Amino acid sequence: MSEPKKNTKMTVFKTDRHEDLAAMFFVTIAVVSVLVYMAYIVPSITLKAPMDGKVVAISVQPEAQVKKGDLLYSMEIKQKKYVHDTLEEKIVTKDFHAKTSGKILSISAKPGDVVKKDKNEILVLEHEKGVLP
Amino acid sequence: MKILLALDPSTRTMDEAIKFAAEKQASLTALFVLDTTWNDYTGHDWLSGSGSRADFLEYARDDELASEVDVLATFRGRCPPDCEIRSATGRVTDEILNELARGDYDLLVMSQPFRRGLEIVRDTAGMILKGATCSVYLVREDEVRCSSRSGIESSLGVPAS
Amino acid sequence: MEEKHGMAKVMAIIPGLAFMVFTLYILRTYVEPWMAHAVVLGQKGWFVKVLHLNYILLAIIAGMLYRNLMWGGKIPGWAEEGFRTTRLFIKSGVMMLGSLYTIQSLAKVGGVAITLIMAFVFGTIFFIMYYGRVQKMDRSLIGVMAAACGVCGVSAAIATAPAVRAKSADVALAIATVLGFGIASMFVSPFIGHMLHLTDYQYGAWVGTGILNSGQVLATCLAYNPTIAPGTAVAYGEIWNVVRVISIPFVVFFVTMWYWRAEAQTEHITLGGIIKDKFPIFILGFFTMTALSSLEMLGAEGSSTIHLMRTVMSWIFGLGLVGQGAYIDVRELRAAGGAPLKVGFAAGLFKYALALVIVLLFVSKEANF
Repeated sequence: MSEPKKNTKMTVFKTDRHEDLAAMFFVTIAVVSVLVYMAYIVPSITLKAPMDGKVVAISVQPEAQVKKGDLLYSMEIKQKKYVHDTLEEKIVTKDFHAKTSGKILSISAKPGDVVKKDKNEILVLEHEKGVLP
Repeated sequence: MKILLALDPSTRTMDEAIKFAAEKQASLTALFVLDTTWNDYTGHDWLSGSGSRADFLEYARDDELASEVDVLATFRGRCPPDCEIRSATGRVTDEILNELARGDYDLLVMSQPFRRGLEIVRDTAGMILKGATCSVYLVREDEVRCSSRSGIESSLGVPAS
Repeated sequence: MEEKHGMAKVMAIIPGLAFMVFTLYILRTYVEPWMAHAVVLGQKGWFVKVLHLNYILLAIIAGMLYRNLMWGGKIPGWAEEGFRTTRLFIKSGVMMLGSLYTIQSLAKVGGVAITLIMAFVFGTIFFIMYYGRVQKMDRSLIGVMAAACGVCGVSAAIATAPAVRAKSADVALAIATVLGFGIASMFVSPFIGHMLHLTDYQYGAWVGTGILNSGQVLATCLAYNPTIAPGTAVAYGEIWNVVRVISIPFVVFFVTMWYWRAEAQTEHITLGGIIKDKFPIFILGFFTMTALSSLEMLGAEGSSTIHLMRTVMSWIFGLGLVGQGAYIDVRELRAAGGAPLKVGFAAGLFKYALALVIVLLFVSKEANF
């Protein structure tokens, strides 16, 4: 009679504890890769519309140096908010600030443009090396 | 004539196979398959941490081993001395079909529904009939609640091919 | 299957993993955009607007189709090792989800989550202990079903089964029941959520509390709203999920003590021992990510870095969910029956419906997240 093999082989790893540790290692690699890539490898970032709306003002010029927190542009957006469990919609103007210091390479949007979230480009920013854009 | 009996806890099936082999003066081989598919069956569960699944799989394996001891002891108590007993590990249907292919059998005898390991949640007879290279004799197990689950409701004593 | 080591093991993973990546790539690059524009019954985007299909649901459906139609009920040998990485990806995704929160936001929503979950966990456990006795179920099976329906489905069932000496055949049926219920609710919940106009917060709270098998909570939230960001269904649902996962060892301890009460065995059971054996340590990764996010070490909210991080996360989840789908065997689920089905169905439906009523009545539309 053949001796049955031990059937504790569950994943590509020996046990769930190994799998948990491997997942932690994998996440560390993934996160560090993203951070290093964004901070050191990507030369510039394209800022796309963060939400649907209308561009009302562009506060920077091409080739301008900006610091983290500087106003970049303003958009008119439809803000949805629950007040006492009732959905209220109103048009508000929202300012968008630089998340990192750097130089404006180009500006694609102009005041009056209607933009779609993640579709339309607003501007291209060359960020400082070593900081997260 | 060569007969293969796929073992599960059913004594009725064992007796039928032994009787049939005696009537036909056939050689009888009994096969017990230790189910190792618990790993796959719980494969979608990703929340378990640390030793939970390993403990459970060991527990399920111990249960399988205990079942093997029980079933084989029951069969040995009934079968004539010239019966051959074999054991295999893996997915039950695959191992039965492998044995059929290896041993050039003329008939497979098994219970319907087949209660071996995780086969209680599977249509064993359906899978076997799809791949079997010989006639299949399904012995109806009346006491089991899941008999209506399978599409194959073979009546006792009629080999299905 | 022969045990492989080293490079042979890595090579064995590649075909299945490549197949999962290829599937997800096709779904996200071609199928999802096509569905957004396809005109069916005179309506543009019918698949998205009416069926609420997105890449998450498509990934699970693709996995299910592979196993149940293309591969005849089991993952073939060439893909087996690759598909086993599915849990690694989902656990990794869960850890990365920790980056959606700050310690302050977790503290705000965590209180509601802990209260709701604990009430439901122990409410369900007591219900099953009572109803199981009415149904004359075996004590060990009551223990397994109580843990499974009370807290985390399959994970809790298999964590409890050895401690209460459950028959493995019973555990198989219990798993088929909770998994079947979980999968059904995964496809039905988005429809109900849209029909009742639930906000992401309400939806996350509902499915996080009400779904029997918490393995499906994330997928159900992503099916409702595939966006991974603070304030979305998955961000809320995950808090509920984490509380449930953390409570597994405590529930196992409680059920085990109940099972062995007045027996000498209880002397050998300690909460510390159970936590050591059963605590899912990947949850620590989740809290590490939350801590990093609170310290703004992962980039500012709304930054390109965070955007890329979430894109990576969505691919990791997508990969894991293709694999999850491939572990669902519809034929095996149909085998659910007997006492586990009766008790599990009663508890599952009760929990699912009651959670919805409580969320509609007492949980505000929006959280101060």
